[in-house]
Amino acid sequence: MIDLLAHNALLVSLAAVAFGAILTPVTIRTGRREWLQLVYGAVYANFLLVSIAAVSMVVALVTHDFSVSYVAQVGSRSTPLLFTVISLWGALEGSILFWAWVLGLYSAAVVALHRRRLGNLVPYAVMTLLAVAAFFAILLVGPADPFLPVFPVPADGPGPNTLLQNHYLMAVHPPLLYLGYVGMSVPFAFALGAIFSNEAASNDWSILSRRWMLTSWGFLSAAIIAGMWWSYEVLGWGGYWAWDPVENASFLPWLTATAYLHSVMVQERRNMLRLWTLNLCVATFVLTILGTFLTRSGILSSVHAFTTGAIGYYFLAFIAIVLVTTLMLVAGNSERIQTKGKLGGAASRETVFLLNNLFLTAVMLTVLVGTLYPLVAEAVRGVKVSVGVPFFNRMALPAMVSLLFLMGVGPALPWGSTTWADARKRLYPPGIAAMILGAIAVIAGARSVYAILAFAFVGYAAMSNVREFWIGMRARHRAHGESWPTALVRLVAGNRRRYGGYVAHIGVLLIALGITASSTFRSEREATLTPGQTLTVAGHTVRLKNLWGREEPQRSVIGATMDVVGKNGAIIGTMEPRMNYYRVSDQPVPTPAVRSSITGDLYVNLMAFESSGANATVKVIVEPFVPWIWFGGLVIVIGAIIGLGYGGRSATAPAPATNPAPSIASADS
Amino acid sequence: MKRHALATLAVVAGALCAARPASAQGVEARSRPSVATAADSALEAQTTAVASTLRCPVCQGESLQDSPSDLARQMRAVVRDKLRAGETPDEVRAYFVSKYGEWILLEPTMTGLNILLYFIPVLLVIGGLVLVAFLVRRWTAPESTTP
Repeated sequence: MIDLLAHNALLVSLAAVAFGAILTPVTIRTGRREWLQLVYGAVYANFLLVSIAAVSMVVALVTHDFSVSYVAQVGSRSTPLLFTVISLWGALEGSILFWAWVLGLYSAAVVALHRRRLGNLVPYAVMTLLAVAAFFAILLVGPADPFLPVFPVPADGPGPNTLLQNHYLMAVHPPLLYLGYVGMSVPFAFALGAIFSNEAASNDWSILSRRWMLTSWGFLSAAIIAGMWWSYEVLGWGGYWAWDPVENASFLPWLTATAYLHSVMVQERRNMLRLWTLNLCVATFVLTILGTFLTRSGILSSVHAFTTGAIGYYFLAFIAIVLVTTLMLVAGNSERIQTKGKLGGAASRETVFLLNNLFLTAVMLTVLVGTLYPLVAEAVRGVKVSVGVPFFNRMALPAMVSLLFLMGVGPALPWGSTTWADARKRLYPPGIAAMILGAIAVIAGARSVYAILAFAFVGYAAMSNVREFWIGMRARHRAHGESWPTALVRLVAGNRRRYGGYVAHIGVLLIALGITASSTFRSEREATLTPGQTLTVAGHTVRLKNLWGREEPQRSVIGATMDVVGKNGAIIGTMEPRMNYYRVSDQPVPTPAVRSSITGDLYVNLMAFESSGANATVKVIVEPFVPWIWFGGLVIVIGAIIGLGYGGRSATAPAPATNPAPSIASADS
Repeated sequence: MKRHALATLAVVAGALCAARPASAQGVEARSRPSVATAADSALEAQTTAVASTLRCPVCQGESLQDSPSDLARQMRAVVRDKLRAGETPDEVRAYFVSKYGEWILLEPTMTGLNILLYFIPVLLVIGGLVLVAFLVRRWTAPESTTP
């Protein structure tokens, strides 16, 4: 019953988005702008209809309606309620439905916020969003239909993939990822809208789209960190990043979006890099679709490739259409989009931004080539090859370490130009922090060149970014006699974009510090212990107390209770690493126990056990500074939120618009 | 309570063993892997180095070193035994390639088509640096050179 309602809602939504997308150019060509209300109505109707379908699916999941194909595929009566609800995005069809819903949400928000703006930019952007929505609607009524009837109706289902029902972070990571991924459609829509409406040569469209990109970028950053955290808490190897194709797929659009957030500043101030910035919007969107294709088509074997099917061809066709269309549009209009700007001088922030974009693009292409190469090798040589951690570390680390250094150079240099003598005066002081952190790393035992450089550059960039706050606060303190906290608040509020950016930098640096420290100073040992025996790793001692088992409705749990023994022999805590055996899978899901402090984690994983309970093999890993990674993710999000604000622009005047825009942004822009 | 817990342990472990053997092909030793002692830390370091370059066949891109799976533990023991028997790291890797194919190496060898994989990124960075240098030069040139 409910499946029929949902299925029809999706059919009508396909009709609505197709109608809206086709009506837009007709409306503009014929000058009947009042018809735009119909287009915008289609956007709202689509959101309503997809919401009905999504809510229907949640209801079907919660009520265990196994006559619905998707519920029969991922549902189970024994799965706890939380994991039943979130299995909405646990497999292919549901995640496409969720994607369509998020896209509907974003599209409705774009219309609600920008529909009063004059000119054709917003209508054409909405048309682009509707066209993308049409693609997902086609998937939902075709190859990825989650509402197919099942007969005979099974009494129970297998439940979601075991890796997905083992940790609550699976309720956090996927929605953040989709909010990030799908949100990147909006800047893409504005980029195409700008070309269609002939506004690509003005800064208006990028002022509108920048905020959407920053929102999505914040979500995507949080999603990547949450994914790393999940991997750390569930996969049991004490790591958080394996350069797995799925991880790479989330990282690729993050890199181009980050490049965009920097290059758009050069565009606004210097009236340059227009074509490049627009292409970054397009590339980011294409990479999100490519990422979905790679992870959902099952073309690369990977954690998330739970399904295979015809859907891969739909994605390939869609990527081809997007690439061909945008390439033709951009190539056909490049003369008009490009503008001739000038740099004030080589020693300027603009130059650093060019290098930043170069290295971000280089990392992106390296990761992309490495991720896709196994497909190429299989096609050309007929041999399966792996491209894994050693390759990516070797090839991507140099550029990533360079980026850490640039994060210190950029904020220190002024816009426009400066003399080399002044540049030196700005660039030398953070060198102190670089030397201190580098020396500490060497004394602590770091020997790899990359690790020492990474520590030094983290120190350099941290001091450079913090110094910007310090200089601004000191000026306010002296000029207005403001107290230091007031000076900080007013400084940030006075130029939220700039200081939000610095806060995000500090977040990235915290993450870089956590990653470098935990991979350089990690110590691990594995041992088989009988109850009462201890194992000591890097000054941390754990003692096996006992092994136990527990039956839960959806799984059997085997756990080891370990005492954490302090220096004086007293018990300072207990840890319970477990193995969860789900009914649907032979492979147990490890559930390591993690004891965090500000200086690092004690990580204990149960590797094997004697079924009599006589002994247990455990791996103990001591990983310094890992919690700093998660904290850094939070700081990035705070930076993004600050940067979203409307607070006044910086002291430097914006570049004058060279082209009279055909329209004027109204108050909502 | 305790009896029940141990029963669970036994049942689960039994089911696990029954479901497992097919995945263990290519590994001689089914016995419990030997556990390192402090004495042979040099061997252990070498084992870690080699195991980090080999892929765990049942995992998602994790190395033998990182993977907590049973199969990876057994394969790690094979690596350790072969190294102890005097084989060089390259010989150990060659053994696994002969068993599993090139796919088992986490980093492709720098031969044939694979060379492209290493050179494309390097060429892009060098080309990009040249381009940036050229653009900065042009964009900071005196006004007279541009119309």
